[in-house]
Amino acid sequence: MPSTSVALTPGLASFLKSLNTNPIDTSIENLISLLKRRQIRHSRSCATATAYLLLRVVSACRTSDPVKLIERVQSVGRRLIAAQPREMVVGNIVRRVLGLIREEAEGDHDAEFALSEAGSESQPQTPRGFDDSSLPLDRDVLRPDADRAASRPPLTSMFSLLSHPVEDDSQPSTPGTQSPRGLPGHGPAKDVRAEVLEGINEITDELDQVDDQISSYALEHIHSNEIILTHTSSTTVQKFLLKAASKRKFTVIHAESFPNNHDATHATVSGNSPADDENLSFEAFQKPLIALGITVILIPDSAVFALMSRVNKVILGTHSVLANGGLVAAAGTRVIARAAKVHQTPVVVVSGVYKLSPVYPFDFDSLIEYGDASKVLPFEDGDLVDQIDVQNPLYDYVPAELVDLYITNLGGHAPSYLYRIVSDHYRKEDISF
Amino acid sequence: MATMTGSSAAAGAKSFDIVATYNELLRSDPDLTMPIAAIEALVLLLTKEPSSTISETLDLLEKSTAHLKKAIPNPIGLSAGTDLFQRYLITTLQRPGQLGPAGDFKAIRTHLLSNGRLFIRRAKESREKIATFGRGFIRDGCTVLTNGGSRAVASLLQKAADDEGGPSAVRFRVIYVLSSFKNADEPSGEPEGMETVRALRAKGVPVSTIPESAVAYALGKTDMVIVGAEGVVENGGIVSRMGTYQIGLLAKAIGKPFYVVAESHKFVRLYPLGQYDLPINQHVIDFKSDDDITEQKEESATPNTNGNQQIELPLCDSVDFTPPYLISALITDSGVLTPSAVSEELIKIWF
Repeated sequence: MPSTSVALTPGLASFLKSLNTNPIDTSIENLISLLKRRQIRHSRSCATATAYLLLRVVSACRTSDPVKLIERVQSVGRRLIAAQPREMVVGNIVRRVLGLIREEAEGDHDAEFALSEAGSESQPQTPRGFDDSSLPLDRDVLRPDADRAASRPPLTSMFSLLSHPVEDDSQPSTPGTQSPRGLPGHGPAKDVRAEVLEGINEITDELDQVDDQISSYALEHIHSNEIILTHTSSTTVQKFLLKAASKRKFTVIHAESFPNNHDATHATVSGNSPADDENLSFEAFQKPLIALGITVILIPDSAVFALMSRVNKVILGTHSVLANGGLVAAAGTRVIARAAKVHQTPVVVVSGVYKLSPVYPFDFDSLIEYGDASKVLPFEDGDLVDQIDVQNPLYDYVPAELVDLYITNLGGHAPSYLYRIVSDHYRKEDISF
Repeated sequence: MATMTGSSAAAGAKSFDIVATYNELLRSDPDLTMPIAAIEALVLLLTKEPSSTISETLDLLEKSTAHLKKAIPNPIGLSAGTDLFQRYLITTLQRPGQLGPAGDFKAIRTHLLSNGRLFIRRAKESREKIATFGRGFIRDGCTVLTNGGSRAVASLLQKAADDEGGPSAVRFRVIYVLSSFKNADEPSGEPEGMETVRALRAKGVPVSTIPESAVAYALGKTDMVIVGAEGVVENGGIVSRMGTYQIGLLAKAIGKPFYVVAESHKFVRLYPLGQYDLPINQHVIDFKSDDDITEQKEESATPNTNGNQQIELPLCDSVDFTPPYLISALITDSGVLTPSAVSEELIKIWF
């Protein structure tokens, strides 16, 4: 936690600092207004802020009843998402916390269930993440406990068509159907809340380590004397390249991403990055690529197509990744991806799993955020501003077919495999909460 | 279709004619899908044929299923249902707990028999569920191109046009591709899908009907293609009404998203490698010279009653296979899936 004594400009650092002293509701309001005013804006910052806020929310929630915990997290999550629907990482973190609570709540029952079925084991229980998909029937029976109690269990597997109805009274004593509230002596035996808090801490650890984990795959993908094209000042990409640069010599062509990110990109390339209070201090990378002897060529965005024929690989950062394998990334990404496709150059996207959203892009236009028009046409040109309509989209939607490989902290994946990672990380019932 | 019920009943189903039951079920309820009708028929079979042991039941099911598949010209849809039913029985019986080996086999039997109508209701509910998922795809001002007589597509479009169940009705337009084949089931001979066209027009949705030859021409005015499916195969491709493949190819060429609407009980364990690899006997491409035509005329005078031969699918019911790379997403009752997610759903129930 940064401990600066001067009054900080509102942002992630000041938010995290105030989190422990302010009451919960003030903190929630605080984050909502920060999100609305776009004072917290990078994916990672939003994710970190959300995770720490939920940590506080859960620890302040004086209950061990998973149903109440879920309700509380859901209501906070809804408000955060409403504040800034385009920052999909906020929703992702909320969903993961909800999944954690559900998992802990069901874990209680699974243990109970395992006892009753010991002896004749038919389906081996695989560790977390996989067991919820491999035991669809058990989940159907178990879900009503954790879920909104009255509703029918959602149809999750193909068997749901045939399985026992919940209201069927012919099975009054199936082990899983007892509600935690029905057995007051049993629920608190394991402290759900403590487990969830531990889980959230794991999420924040993951957020801290994600870039290093991703960069550990760098040497598998960047080879000597290759020419790599990249775009924007993404920390993840820089760390990835730096890791490779420690062992190999290659050339980087860096598109400057005018007008929204060119200052940061120039700073990244030249290595004199200004103190960025948006990023936490440990994220600021010490050495630029040039210090490691890498040739870095800074080009305007318009030169991308011209140079693409000489490029061996395109490595891109992203804002968020969608369930169908498409991604929302800084404006200009689609042009690069399309140019790469034309030249049959492989496109690699590096992204933490936390950016992977279960949202399906029904409406691509609604995902695109528009930024400050004065960056394109300064207001000094008042005469012109009056007469023309200036637009400055901040993001591009890149369809899945333009991407060849995703590298996340879990490894490399084909775009068509992302659905699987989505289903491993988010519960179906949380996708639209 | 009624003619094939006369074929001799197999050894498995002695007094109970599963084929006739299946056809009767399909006829009696126009909303019933083939897999559900097959499951229903099997449930009825279990009611009629008392069996006390697990292996006896499974054996009976296997024989009747084989018989049913042989008697129906296009067994893809129904095999999804029979496979699902069989797997459900096996998995439930293997699973420890009340219904497992330690428990009572009768319990699961009674559950199945007493809940026959429940499956049908759930199957219809799953269509509702798809409509809720799919509503997000249809946005104000868009134009949807569709074909065939899929009930799932019809319910999705109608739900989008409805005021209730959402914030407000979506204002969209529909281009309906009508098949050039005469529909044998309709006495008026009007092509499949006219019912949906009328229902949509009644709800105030502007619908344009075009022939299959105008698809490429119309796609420029289209925002997305939504089609139904008879079966969703293992690789994520679909078996659907003849003409779907070409719409898929054209949509891909023009760069329009191509969505498939299908209930997850239509997922079937089949891996067709191409158009001519389907387990269906359909003579869409039929080379003939003058000699062949005269020969065929003579032959048609003496009807062929060979029980072993698979029955030929009438031309109006012919299907084609749309490979997965043409499909943007599958809208199912378990969410919006990419084609590659289908195999996983299948693996979940088979292994």
